[in-house]
Amino acid sequence: MAMTPVAETRTGLHGRRSAHVLEDPEQQIFRVNREVFRSNEIFSRERERLWDRLWLYLGHESEVPNPGDFKQRTLAGRPLIFCRDAAGHVRAYLNACPHRGTILCRETEGNAKTFQCFYHAWTFANTGELVGIPDPGAYPPERGFAAQMGLREVPRHENHRGFVFVSFSASGPTLREHLGNAGDYIDLMADHSARGLEALPGTHLYGIRGNWKLAVENAMDGYHFSPTHVTFVEYLKTTGYVTSDEGGLAVTLDNGHSVLIFSGHGGRVGMQWEPRFGEGERLRIAENVRELTARLGKERAERVSHTSRILYVFPNLLLFDIEGLAARQLEPVAPDFTDVRAWELAPAGEAPEARALRVRILGSFIGPGGLATPDDVEAYECVQRGVVATAGDTRPWVDWSDISRGMQREARGEPARNVDEAGIRGFWRHWDSLISGAAQ
Amino acid sequence: MTIATRAVTRAEVEDFLFREAALLDEWRLDEWLALFEEDATYEVPTTDRPDEDPLRSQYYVSDDHELLTARVRRLKSRHAHAENPHSRTRRLITNVRLGKPMGTSLPVYAAFLIYKIRDGNVDSFVGRYEHTLALGDELRFRKRRAVLELEVLRPGGRLSFIL
Repeated sequence: MAMTPVAETRTGLHGRRSAHVLEDPEQQIFRVNREVFRSNEIFSRERERLWDRLWLYLGHESEVPNPGDFKQRTLAGRPLIFCRDAAGHVRAYLNACPHRGTILCRETEGNAKTFQCFYHAWTFANTGELVGIPDPGAYPPERGFAAQMGLREVPRHENHRGFVFVSFSASGPTLREHLGNAGDYIDLMADHSARGLEALPGTHLYGIRGNWKLAVENAMDGYHFSPTHVTFVEYLKTTGYVTSDEGGLAVTLDNGHSVLIFSGHGGRVGMQWEPRFGEGERLRIAENVRELTARLGKERAERVSHTSRILYVFPNLLLFDIEGLAARQLEPVAPDFTDVRAWELAPAGEAPEARALRVRILGSFIGPGGLATPDDVEAYECVQRGVVATAGDTRPWVDWSDISRGMQREARGEPARNVDEAGIRGFWRHWDSLISGAAQ
Repeated sequence: MTIATRAVTRAEVEDFLFREAALLDEWRLDEWLALFEEDATYEVPTTDRPDEDPLRSQYYVSDDHELLTARVRRLKSRHAHAENPHSRTRRLITNVRLGKPMGTSLPVYAAFLIYKIRDGNVDSFVGRYEHTLALGDELRFRKRRAVLELEVLRPGGRLSFIL
């Protein structure tokens, strides 16, 4: 098949029209060219225009609770040290010795006052200063050598309610500007507890054989829940809970972020009861809701407690407020491979019986060993294997995926349902504005 | 060795583990579930923190008997998409050691290497078992715990089958 672009299929269309995304509000068509999942060139452009420029989620501050705590974490392909320094400040360093580039910290996690490079024994305080060089007299002391050769921090990092983000670009919007109205949805999660949230020990670390954007599409797609997760729906039914797709919404937020709001997919530990949680949890939930109402007022307390949400923060963070609380980080490795890291979050200092229930309930659904996530992974991987079939096929629309569901309701000015594809369209519009335009 | 209830040999434990492996490799999941005591658990901790307490940490799998039953029921459905069609699996179980019995409970340790084959990929999962068996007339699982030696579940990022 010829590799000619699809110019002829574009005629007569209005709205967004790039090589990758076509949106025609009149005909209510929204389509994405499947090359976005296959192309090495697009992958490189994403690195340059998204991952090296935007705010990326690094981790939760509670992962490094004490001075000296550190974790290794690779973000946008760059090895980092995520740590809390001796003064108690959260830091993010490039994990490469300033001397010759050696990986400096080789333990995956731990607690240390200093990091010493094994290669030439340069030693750095966790506050960044170069504090030890064998035979320092070999360098001219008056030139400020040590001051030049401190640990390299990421150009910017900021903390939003405990969620730590980094940017590999020294300039650009602040984190608050980047988050825009998604910030309030992060706050709805942080507001679960007056004492803040903590990341639980035990990280889900897994690779998927699919493009990172398929994981975003899947999370912002309430449409797949009933067919893909039918065995989970059946399991809930045996415990006395009947799921429903009624009343859910998809909200497109600033800067490519979006949120799905559910009302009937299941309960949430600490917030919304369902029979499998048991009677003790029913009482704890009533107490939690009283506390929330006193702290936040009735209206906000209801927003926090009454609905489940999945929030996507462009480009690499998914926050789940379903069943329990979880943060999932996407790390693209190749056009057809993505690493995923996922943490369970919980109100800090929660009662042991509530915590035990929380980990069991969230684990029943989410993660590589849950009763639902493996079917999502099957979906991403099957799309990745499937989109190869149409590569280079120039017949109209053959090599395009359809994301039009719900445009009709949108055109009538009705709120978008979570079983439509509005959240995914918001993602693609923003992605396309960054990728298809001229470099800035 | 002799214990309160009866003697058990490593050969008997190995036979139990090998028969269990065959049931799983043949996807005979109802018969497999019958190997569990009514209050048994099935656990797979995360790769970064295998020693954490399952009551306060995130695990890959932390099933009580009810959730384990739901897992088996799901895997038998043709709607368990991640395993429909089923993966081919082959479990190699070796280095079996018996721990010190405590009443009717016997700790059992073994090494496993499981090949999972599907969609043109051969994924291997290597680790150790840290089971607790109940010493009744027949051996049964009281706790079935699989600990992965992998740093990351990669490239096969799902534990949709039984580890």
